[in-house]
Amino acid sequence: MSVLTGKELRIVGFLCNWCSYGGADTAGVGRFVQPTDLRIIRVPCSGRIDPLFIVKALLNGADGVLVSGCHPRDCHYSQGNFYARRRLEVLKHFLPVLGIDPARFEYTWVSASEAQRWQKVVSSFTERIHKLGPASRLENTALPDGLEKRFAAIASGELPSDGKAATRLEELKDRIHEFLPDLDIVIGWQRGFDALHNTPLFMRSAEDLEKLVWGPLNIHNTATYLPSLRGKKVGVVVKGCDSRSVVELLQEKLVDRENIVVFGMPCSGIVDLSKIDRALRERGTGIGRVQAAECGEKGVTIKAGGQEYRFAMEEVAADKCFHCEYPNAVLADHLIGNASPSSSNGKISRQLAAFDAMSLQERMAYWRSQMDRCIRCHACRNACPLCVCKDHCIAQSRDPHWISQEDTITEKLMFQVVHAVHTAGRCTECGECERACPMDIPILAMKRQMNRAIRELFEYKAGTDPEAVPPLLAFQAEEKNIHEGVL
Amino acid sequence: MRIGVFVCHCGSNIEGTVDTAAVARAALGFPEVALATDAMYTCSEPGQDAIVQAIREKGLSGIVVASCSPRMHENTFRRAVERAGLNRYMFEMANIREHVSWIGKDREANTNKATELVRMAVEKLRRNTPLFSNKFDVTKRVLVIGGGVAGIQAALDCAEGGKEVVLVERESSIGGKMAKLDKTFPTVDCSSCILGPKMVDVAQHPNIKLLACTELKSVGGYVGNFQVELRKKATYVDWTKCTGCGQCMEKCPSKKSEDRFNERIGVTTAINIPFPQAIPKKAVIDPASCRHFLKGKCGVCAKVCPTGAIDYEMKEEVLTEQVGAIIAATGYDVFDISKIGEYGAGRYPDVITSLQYERLLSASGPTGGHIKRPSDGAEPKTIVFVQCVGSRDKSLGRPYCSGFCCMYTAKQAILTRDHIPDSQVFVFYMDIRAPGKLYDEFTRRAMEEYGARYIRGRVAMVYPQGSKYIVRGADTLLGTNVEIEADLVVLAAGAEAAAGAPALAEKLRISYDPYGFFVESHPKLRPVETNTAGVYLAGSCQGPKDIPSSVAQGSAAAAKVLALFSKDKLESDPQISRVDIKRCVGCGKCILTCPYGAIKKIDFRGEPKAEVVATVCQGCGICTSTCPQGAAQLAHFTDDQILAEVNALCRF
Repeated sequence: MSVLTGKELRIVGFLCNWCSYGGADTAGVGRFVQPTDLRIIRVPCSGRIDPLFIVKALLNGADGVLVSGCHPRDCHYSQGNFYARRRLEVLKHFLPVLGIDPARFEYTWVSASEAQRWQKVVSSFTERIHKLGPASRLENTALPDGLEKRFAAIASGELPSDGKAATRLEELKDRIHEFLPDLDIVIGWQRGFDALHNTPLFMRSAEDLEKLVWGPLNIHNTATYLPSLRGKKVGVVVKGCDSRSVVELLQEKLVDRENIVVFGMPCSGIVDLSKIDRALRERGTGIGRVQAAECGEKGVTIKAGGQEYRFAMEEVAADKCFHCEYPNAVLADHLIGNASPSSSNGKISRQLAAFDAMSLQERMAYWRSQMDRCIRCHACRNACPLCVCKDHCIAQSRDPHWISQEDTITEKLMFQVVHAVHTAGRCTECGECERACPMDIPILAMKRQMNRAIRELFEYKAGTDPEAVPPLLAFQAEEKNIHEGVL
Repeated sequence: MRIGVFVCHCGSNIEGTVDTAAVARAALGFPEVALATDAMYTCSEPGQDAIVQAIREKGLSGIVVASCSPRMHENTFRRAVERAGLNRYMFEMANIREHVSWIGKDREANTNKATELVRMAVEKLRRNTPLFSNKFDVTKRVLVIGGGVAGIQAALDCAEGGKEVVLVERESSIGGKMAKLDKTFPTVDCSSCILGPKMVDVAQHPNIKLLACTELKSVGGYVGNFQVELRKKATYVDWTKCTGCGQCMEKCPSKKSEDRFNERIGVTTAINIPFPQAIPKKAVIDPASCRHFLKGKCGVCAKVCPTGAIDYEMKEEVLTEQVGAIIAATGYDVFDISKIGEYGAGRYPDVITSLQYERLLSASGPTGGHIKRPSDGAEPKTIVFVQCVGSRDKSLGRPYCSGFCCMYTAKQAILTRDHIPDSQVFVFYMDIRAPGKLYDEFTRRAMEEYGARYIRGRVAMVYPQGSKYIVRGADTLLGTNVEIEADLVVLAAGAEAAAGAPALAEKLRISYDPYGFFVESHPKLRPVETNTAGVYLAGSCQGPKDIPSSVAQGSAAAAKVLALFSKDKLESDPQISRVDIKRCVGCGKCILTCPYGAIKKIDFRGEPKAEVVATVCQGCGICTSTCPQGAAQLAHFTDDQILAEVNALCRF
């Protein structure tokens, strides 16, 4: 059983019980003739509609999804549609990132008495979907030649820098030394198994402090470990981006301000080890063969397979560092040295711009090719400082059963969308998800797009104010930047 | 699970455009469906019996009925499955009438769509679980907000029904708009003569606690158990001592206080009892005009008061009351006529509202019942009434009809002739709306017996000429312009929602329409209930109403309260949210977004967790769509249930 081939398309409707479902009933009672494509799912309130239901439908075969609720101020539950409006508007901005035409999704308001309006809504939305035709299916898209290359290695631009990074390590050590007796633990970085891979360092004593290092190889986000150390007195050394995660964790009350001491270090950018690996591979070697490495603010010098390679910082810096807006800690008890100048120039990053230049079809194909590599290790989630659901992630749950164990691209992509939606208005773009991905899938791009939507709609940036209420957990009766109701 | 599917013909309503037998056949192929059949009228007694019988004989554990809207018959069928021993929530409906058979004639498409809706219902039912209500106690006291005629009626009926009533009134006396009226249509009987005794009854009823000069501060709790905070304003007169003798008013030297009771026609004393029949008949000092408060010395009232009731140091108080139900009867406001510049209200003293005119007609009014022009006190001979001022006017954002203006204008036309026999009355009207009992006869009397000249048309402008006013308008029946030289112009100002209505609605957690009137649960079938359980509506706060309708709604609201209080225990709706404590990480996002404050933070073995207060939760599901780890799940609309429906549609 499916839609009547050639006659109907698959259109799913989510209607609130009190207004719009009633309106659809009233339209039926009044014999207002409507197209037959729409199938209606009844929910108590538009506020009950998780945007992920809509993504689920669109990724699994729906050609269009229509949501309808009570008119603003008229909600049976007084506020549900206000929350819905924000979340659904964000989704509308986000769908094109996945290569889904946002016109395939619409939300509107129909009251229980507006039979005629309901008829008009159904008719015009159905007509719109028929004009768009059947939706492209993720599994069937093919990647046009050269697209991947076009997207890779496009990040460039200004890096934050003040040229004094080297002298700061001693200053930082002195400061930590001063406070270490009052703290259970201080989180920083140390040299890892080779010269390139620095790893987090948990300092309890003066001997531990000697292992502390500072430089562009301090990639890990130190804030990630804070929630698991709750209850202890913890010091944490942060880069600008790490500090935003601290702010976010404070805002969500997952760490206690009185129990953490933040040491802010001005950052001049970190390296992306994947880029180094790619560059080394192009030269016939690889990151696994590195014997020695020297890394400063200007760049990296690597000895591998007996040869020396030099990369300028611009070649190997992480994408997020170009045009960095927050090289300094936004929250710190102790700021070390002078602040790095921000390299942000208000422009959107080239990565986003390149993504914008792709057609919807290309974007879907792009994600298809990228997500094909996903091995569902969930390292992205585990590295994310804001994935606080820990063992209860809905990606691995039967109840609720959002994602099945089927090895399909749809399910893999669905997980990334879950991550992006759950971190919408919370993600600080620290890039840990992408850094942790063993398959080098550029998943940060998805979150940056989401953040852009949040910024445009609500003029909000996550991780800058511990007292702020994130936009998706709030609403305004009159939304400045949302103009819904085109149907 | 063994599922039974019943596909209803609804006579020819469904069968006419849906092949119900084919739908039933297809349903047999759906998972766990043990029986599928079509039936003529499933909701009829034999139809329901067939379901009951099938459950018993075939050992069914869940039922799908494909018929009309669940908003129509969900409860009918839930009771049926309950009769057969199943839990009422082991039931789903597929709406194949309003959403299928009635909106298109393509039998093939309809049959196909109906089959899919049945599949959806089956897939949801497979994930349903039995749900059980909780029982809780009821506080059998009711709060009535507003002491106009609707509130008075509601309070008296509840009190007569043996329940305790707390009646709060913002002003210093109950009576509302009706107390300001001179006479009432269509009987032309004296308003205070019929309202007065009721007001006295309120004062004397042992079950009624009357709190005047009091406003609602906040409401907590839920049906059966509301905690209400009331703000009792400072009156500067100790009402336990005040006897209402009025000596203070006679001696008060400050006579420039705004006379709100007389609709600001004239002024009154700073210490005041608004009208002779006031209940409670107690004095109140207006600190905005009292010399003691303005200049720091005077104290005349304190000297003359025989009981020593004056207390200049009095402070506002906050009272707390426990009630089980709330009736909102907060009435309406009169449209501000100065918003229509071309009629000159506000600039020309002799352009007044009907309610002001009513005070001029009243023997207890500022003119002692003699009609006098506010400007010079002269008796007007030509009076022009203009209807629909601030009603039925989209340009003013007032597209609705205020309903009672046609009638009171006719009444005032009659009374004018009674007061001034040689006067001439003109009425500009759009349509005459007089649908009540004896109403149309009444307007006819105004025209035929009392010689009021009705002119069908709008007034374009009013401007002064000498001591008179020229009213320029159109007579659309004759197709001419009309100019009338009037001594007094009375504008039938429409009703609008009371100024604080939206704020009150938010405290009560009820909805209000774009104009600020409170929204009833169903416009026809639940006219006094709201969507918040335990909160009821009476009178014009729900929409403009005349006295008979307000009284009827007051009684209706009281009947609902008495029915609610007839039970010792109430049952909660089990379709509420629950938090799985194992999954909850205590992030508090649900607490932040719940519109009812129904989720609280608890400490569970030293970890913060969220917990739903079952009696407060209304089942909206915002928490469920907010909780990232799916710990908060709205029963009967869980993620899995909705996902099952999505998958039933998209993955086949």
